[in-house]
Amino acid sequence: MTAASPSAAEVKALFRAFLREARKFPDYNIREYVKRRSRQGFHQNQNIVPELATAAFAEGRELLEVAKRQAVVYSLYAPKVKNIMELKHVEKQ
Amino acid sequence: MQSLRSAVLRQIRVPVGPSCRFLSAAAQLDKAEVIDRILSVVKSFPKADPSKVTPSSHFQSDLGLDSLDNVEIVMAIEEEFALEIPDAEADKLDSCSAAIDYIAAHPMAK
Repeated sequence: MTAASPSAAEVKALFRAFLREARKFPDYNIREYVKRRSRQGFHQNQNIVPELATAAFAEGRELLEVAKRQAVVYSLYAPKVKNIMELKHVEKQ
Repeated sequence: MQSLRSAVLRQIRVPVGPSCRFLSAAAQLDKAEVIDRILSVVKSFPKADPSKVTPSSHFQSDLGLDSLDNVEIVMAIEEEFALEIPDAEADKLDSCSAAIDYIAAHPMAK
């Protein structure tokens, strides 16, 4: 093996970074999508063999950069009105 | 100049009201409320069985969750109490009781 496979703590930190990044999207639909997609990606690769883990981790890091850029782009085009799903959520609290 | 200064200073009054004296107040939450809110966060987690959630249950050994679910629950708790838990602390919150103790002792939790 050329590169050491990522430790559990590193993977958890990456997952947490994804979920934190997801919060920054102003559009409800995109925000929920990023959360859902992050969960899906990490759960899919949960039992990955160590040989492939390094590549998957590297891909995850690249995608996190994509998510960071997209969060900035979407913040420039924030929807003017809230999504109906968010309104319900506010009412509940 | 000196007399002018003192004349001006005698007129000026800077109000010192109670409005600026709240900075040192302890704002920790009531333990019963913390327990209540943490349990409702954990119960609303889709993979956790609400009937098994108690203040002493361990996320992974009692509720059958994995370490990724654990990360998600800690993030949900962050959102509920409007704070940010650093990674080193978040890794230690692996049960309801650990989370309750952490939030109850946290000065910024709301």
